[in-house]
Amino acid sequence: MEVSRSLFRQALRIRLVEERVREIYPSDRIQSPVHLSNGQEAISVGVCDALARSDLVFGTYRSHALYLAKGGDLDRMFAELYGRSTGCGGGKAGSMHLCAPEVGMMGASAIVATTIPHAVGAALAARIRGTGQVVACFFGEGATGEGVYHESLNLAAVHQVPLLLVCEHNDLAINTRVSEVHAFEVAAHAEVFGIPATTLERGSDVDFVAAAAHHEVEATRAGSGPRLLQIRTFRALQHVGPDADFGPGLRPLRELEDWEATDPLTWRRDWVEALTPELEAEIDAAVAFAEASPFPGADALLSDVVAP
Amino acid sequence: MAETLSYGAAIHRAMHEALGHSADTVVVGQGVSDHTAIFGTTEGLRQRFGPRRVIDTAIAEDGTTGLAVGLALNGVYPIQTHIRVDFLVLAMNQLVNLVAKYRYMYGGRFELPMLIRAVVGRSWGQGPQHSQSLQALFAHVPGLTVILPSTAEEVLRSYRHATRSHRGPVISIEHRFLYDLDFEVTDDPERDRAPFGGRVVEAGDDVTLVATSYMVQEAQRAARWLEARGGPRCEILDPHRVSDLDHELIFESVARTGRLLVADTDWVPYGLGAEVCRGVVTRDPGVLRQPVRLLGMAQAPCPTSHALEDLYYPHMGDIVRGVYGLVLGTDDHGLETPDAAAAKALRKAFRGPF
Repeated sequence: MEVSRSLFRQALRIRLVEERVREIYPSDRIQSPVHLSNGQEAISVGVCDALARSDLVFGTYRSHALYLAKGGDLDRMFAELYGRSTGCGGGKAGSMHLCAPEVGMMGASAIVATTIPHAVGAALAARIRGTGQVVACFFGEGATGEGVYHESLNLAAVHQVPLLLVCEHNDLAINTRVSEVHAFEVAAHAEVFGIPATTLERGSDVDFVAAAAHHEVEATRAGSGPRLLQIRTFRALQHVGPDADFGPGLRPLRELEDWEATDPLTWRRDWVEALTPELEAEIDAAVAFAEASPFPGADALLSDVVAP
Repeated sequence: MAETLSYGAAIHRAMHEALGHSADTVVVGQGVSDHTAIFGTTEGLRQRFGPRRVIDTAIAEDGTTGLAVGLALNGVYPIQTHIRVDFLVLAMNQLVNLVAKYRYMYGGRFELPMLIRAVVGRSWGQGPQHSQSLQALFAHVPGLTVILPSTAEEVLRSYRHATRSHRGPVISIEHRFLYDLDFEVTDDPERDRAPFGGRVVEAGDDVTLVATSYMVQEAQRAARWLEARGGPRCEILDPHRVSDLDHELIFESVARTGRLLVADTDWVPYGLGAEVCRGVVTRDPGVLRQPVRLLGMAQAPCPTSHALEDLYYPHMGDIVRGVYGLVLGTDDHGLETPDAAAAKALRKAFRGPF
């Protein structure tokens, strides 16, 4: 498996950030439910590699990877997790609502599937205004059970907007196997709307993801209408929180072992060892920034509720 | 310069003005380009501004509200239309969880300038799912600005402000009963300073009537009836924006009159009347000389049969009775009040199916 070092570095950076969150979490210094990206890093990194800074992305409550891959500031992310005023949402957002509008990270919602129509609207706006932007929307296959997903596909297809739908398929909706509760298959379903859908089986292969994403982004930017990438991936930790959920009564440990064998962040030990020190130093600095930052003052409680 | 304009014509003009003002303003809604054109209010828009800016959509309230959020986030001002308020319930997730929170949740890093128009059906057998007003539901949620324009002038002023200057989401609840009524429209620079703010419809010293939307009409009819008989003089206030009431305006009036009646187009419990009372009693409950009177729809879903519908909505007769009760301190006064026929007159003048 060929892996480009720069994309690998980005994916490793996200993995190490998540590992740091896991370390800190039991201390209660981060008081915000975390839905960690471990196992799914390559999708955000690969897709964002195909996007320009001015392109827009919309995410979910599991968006640490997306925020960082799109170029969100690491200091402000840790400050947000710590509930500090210097956070990307001033401490009002927390882990589930990271944003970085300066690099096109337009928000992340804890209510499943709710940002999908936002992405369609933003893409429609791009066309109305002639900005040339592409919008990418990230969601899990669990989100495809929501009614608004189907409404959004219809709207996107009718208006032929420049949109890449990125389905991160880990087959888990919290702890429910999605394949057991959905009567349809995501890619085949999208094709019903005339939306070309491609399924990638190797979601941990960042180059593979990036190559496919470049193809899809170029196509939709050129005016071919919305497209869907379904990417098989693996949620390495529990739905929410810092722990794994393998073992008796949980997921079979075998699934973790099988996945680790394919995960470059696990098997490329040489690159991991070479890159880790500089990345850990960056993370140290971000954590220090967060810990040194003030909490929001009482004046923030009622600010930005409504437009002035 | 004064001119006469119907409420519906004012909305139609406001839509043309908004799209004419900015090439980045669009209208999105189910049926915006069909021959009925949202009760005529979007008529001619598509011919003038094209299908890219006058966007007819699938019946998908949740999705299209989300679409509007995305448009707003990427620099397009969406005006969304719903021919019945009732269908906004399908968009409640977007409204409550996203639209209301987008500015706050991200620490002020995003703005969502957008206008959502929704029309109250009422009457001619519209029944339980085509007649609701629901402003209390929306106004309860911090982050949503909810207005109920009661005249053509309020429409022009508030829609101009929403589409040109205001940087947040506005839900406007329009009332179908008002559409065909004519209003005197004048320029009022003073009112332009607070385009969503409350206003004194009529000044008076005996009783404060706080009325919303169509109930302003009923309050004015009641005031005329009382005036013709030398009865109590009513001060009629229209809050207009119910999500952030002008409590000072209302309190100042109640402090003078000592008597308060609220007439709303929604249900009473947990509604506008309760909110008006909160504003008064948390300032000084001592200003009230009589218990407050609250009018709204009967506490039931709206029945379809007009025999029941006539009982369902409060009307000028109820307001007159309330005013007498407040002034005389008793409902057992034996004075003449408008009979039910007066209330029915409007229903009979109004023709369906819409």
